[in-house]
Amino acid sequence: MASFAGVLLAGVLLGGIYSLVAIGLNLIFGVIRVVNFAQGEFVMLGMYATVVAYTLLHLDPYLGMLLVFPLLFVFGMAVQRFILQPLQNEPMMQIFATFGMLMLLQNVVLAVTGGTAVSIRTPASGLTIAVGPLQVSVARVVALLAVTVVAVGLQWALHTTMTGKAVRAVAQDRRAARLMGIDVERTYMLTFGFGAGLAGVAGALLTPIFTLTPQIGGNFILPAFAVVVLGGLGSVWGAYIGGFLIGLTEALAGFYLDPALKQAVWFAIFILVLVVRPTGLFGVVGAEEVGLRVQE
Amino acid sequence: MSTLLSLRGVSKRFGGLLAVNGVSMDVAPGELVSIIGPNGAGKTTLFNLLTGQLTPSTGTIALRGAEINRLPPQARARLGFGRTFQIAQTLTTLTALENAMIGGFMHHRDLRGAAARAMAALELVGLQDRAGVKGSLLTLSERRRLEVARALALEPDIVLLDEVMAGLNPTEIGHMVHLVQTLNDGGLTFLVIEHNLKVVRQFSNRVLVLHRGAMLAHGTADEVLSNPAVVEAYVGKSRQ
Amino acid sequence: MSRSEAVSEVPAKAARVRCFTDELPLLAGVAAVLGGAVLLMAGDNFALNILATTFLMAGLATAWNVIGGFGGQFSLCHGVFFAEGAYLTANGVVHLGLSPWLSLAPAAVLGAVTALAISWPAFRLRGPFFAIATMTFSEVAYVLANYFDSVTGGAQGIRVPYHAGWLNMIFPGRIAYAWIMLGFLCCCLAASLLLLRSRLGYYLQAVRDNEAAAQASGIDVLRTKLLGFAISGGLTAIGGSVFMMYVRVVDPPTLLTLSDVGVRFALIALIGGVGTGYGPLLGALLVVPLEAWLRASVGAYVPGANLIVLGAVLVLAALFFRQGLAGALDRLLARRPGRRGAAAA
Repeated sequence: MASFAGVLLAGVLLGGIYSLVAIGLNLIFGVIRVVNFAQGEFVMLGMYATVVAYTLLHLDPYLGMLLVFPLLFVFGMAVQRFILQPLQNEPMMQIFATFGMLMLLQNVVLAVTGGTAVSIRTPASGLTIAVGPLQVSVARVVALLAVTVVAVGLQWALHTTMTGKAVRAVAQDRRAARLMGIDVERTYMLTFGFGAGLAGVAGALLTPIFTLTPQIGGNFILPAFAVVVLGGLGSVWGAYIGGFLIGLTEALAGFYLDPALKQAVWFAIFILVLVVRPTGLFGVVGAEEVGLRVQE
Repeated sequence: MSTLLSLRGVSKRFGGLLAVNGVSMDVAPGELVSIIGPNGAGKTTLFNLLTGQLTPSTGTIALRGAEINRLPPQARARLGFGRTFQIAQTLTTLTALENAMIGGFMHHRDLRGAAARAMAALELVGLQDRAGVKGSLLTLSERRRLEVARALALEPDIVLLDEVMAGLNPTEIGHMVHLVQTLNDGGLTFLVIEHNLKVVRQFSNRVLVLHRGAMLAHGTADEVLSNPAVVEAYVGKSRQ
Repeated sequence: MSRSEAVSEVPAKAARVRCFTDELPLLAGVAAVLGGAVLLMAGDNFALNILATTFLMAGLATAWNVIGGFGGQFSLCHGVFFAEGAYLTANGVVHLGLSPWLSLAPAAVLGAVTALAISWPAFRLRGPFFAIATMTFSEVAYVLANYFDSVTGGAQGIRVPYHAGWLNMIFPGRIAYAWIMLGFLCCCLAASLLLLRSRLGYYLQAVRDNEAAAQASGIDVLRTKLLGFAISGGLTAIGGSVFMMYVRVVDPPTLLTLSDVGVRFALIALIGGVGTGYGPLLGALLVVPLEAWLRASVGAYVPGANLIVLGAVLVLAALFFRQGLAGALDRLLARRPGRRGAAAA
């Protein structure tokens, strides 16, 4: 019984990490309808930026976050403005461009670092707390709490602030939003910047947990895509809850089947969802189809 | 008189909106029926129900006596439906000839056969000189005529034209009316959504007036257009 | 019932349309030039290796282009079919002692059938979502390839022993492999051009451009996509088979690393010109030698330099060369009088 509880706990904590990466991806996806294949590399950049801040400025990753977020925010805005905006009505080319960024970022970091794995010891990284008979990594609990705060905050911001409402308006109907006087391009830049910033925050939060390599983004992007498809394209709660579903599935499959097959199991679920409900569990019906449709 | 197409109590509901409400009518082979009505009357929805882009919530649509309610658009095209879209759906990377060939392939598997059929259709709509031009480079008027050519290249039994005159200049409208009349005289059946009442009067055997999804009137052009209810609902304010 | 005699009666003017037979002279010319290059390089193993890889990648990009270019369905799972071909051939040789030549047709069938099975659910999604779904297939195939080591040799890989001979598709010199890869490329080009000048090819393009118009013209959109995907997958699997015999040892990362395999096919097609007949070949002629050169020169000092360049080329191509090399060539030719509108495709 204790082992079962342990697996569940591990699944929930893993789910928190997946949600964390998926939320930014799904925000970008839901609003701009761009599938950002480089989102995992944004997380990787966030991790390296955190390490740099830790090494040079002796900033704890949880404080470094405050530096990493604006950094990636600006970076994301630039990417949207100079790469994705010119390709707004060319979905195929957007895929190529974000994939090109993936290769570019991954290998630039590889070239700069020489590919040696990096890990830092922060106060949180080795720390565990006891939950009943189980030892739980504090860093993972912090990540779980953080993603909850981010999800609640994002949902709140999207529904109450003026900018948030503008973002939702643009997501629903770009043309109508433009007619209402919303600067669509600016909203896109803000959204992409924010999505990239969230990836940075995720990177900072994950730095105490993982050993960094330039290829680490690849470990996050696929689960994040699965989360997005499973939870619902463009939905904040979809990404949040989807993360736990994928995390739990992976933990349970790893424990009861074979750790080597855990990904194959969430893949089976993924296919099932595609066939039964292509919009995901919380997605808007039809969202999976508008991806290629030119809105203007 | 045999019936080609028959509708019985056809309705379509979108959430709380009854876009098409209990439409019943019969179309005989060789007829030209116009569908008129104010914007939002449900004309295009009715077309989409007929060609299979939508399926009716209730009621039956039958072609030559066989129910086709649930058939997808491609199956209906194979049964003899040709249609144009209100917003021209041009294949932008293909040439005008290739656009029409997409229709021509229906009855001609081989390239040359389809191309010959397509070229004939392009000539009918006066686009033969634009055959080699990419769809993305065609003007709005050319795109509309290309829609008609693609539908005709299918060699259909019944053609549904959704506002094909919109965006054409008076000369082009004249040509299009003449084309539709000639094909209709040759036995081709037409259902036409048209706002230009002069055109409607000119070529329709019968006119159906839709208003808020329901059939408001039904008869010859003169009967319908002098019907007080129609005048009030539709032409009242802007009688031509 | 009258099938609208009015339309049929109009005398059908002989419409000029490019048929497959019109493509043959150019195809033969291209094959001759590439064959000439092989003869020219005879004896230079480094150059022959680059040529063989170029032809292989050109053939694979051409195969991808059938569904990715003509059909506009952005598949990222072509590595799966590639790997299937390789594993099928390797198992045939190692466990059954069969000649690799005999495995080519079964590989094509396996690739086509897998393509159908994979894409049937995936085609419920469109555009970028289809791409995500196929990307997932590829990653899972990677997991499975590592897991089922009785078939794949697991992480250690599977090796075909060296027994030179025509029947074994194993040769002491490199030049034979260049010829085999050229043969594969010519098959892919011929299949692609045949398709481009056929009803299915036009249907695929119609589906890519506008699904509503395609349906209204009697096209079964799903069926068309599935057929295109099956042809593409089948050709890709043959590529995997010949690749297996070329390298004689493969492991899951070689066959299924996304950025080295599945995405590479798409990338080469894009740089060359998506949806054109010869674009993928042009792309491979540029990308493969460029990469080999980068790896040999800068790669020694800067790890991943070739991928940095490739990534940058990809972003720039998406931004500024959307029609790829084929499009640029087309525009160049169109500028000359008398060649207006002549397609490089």
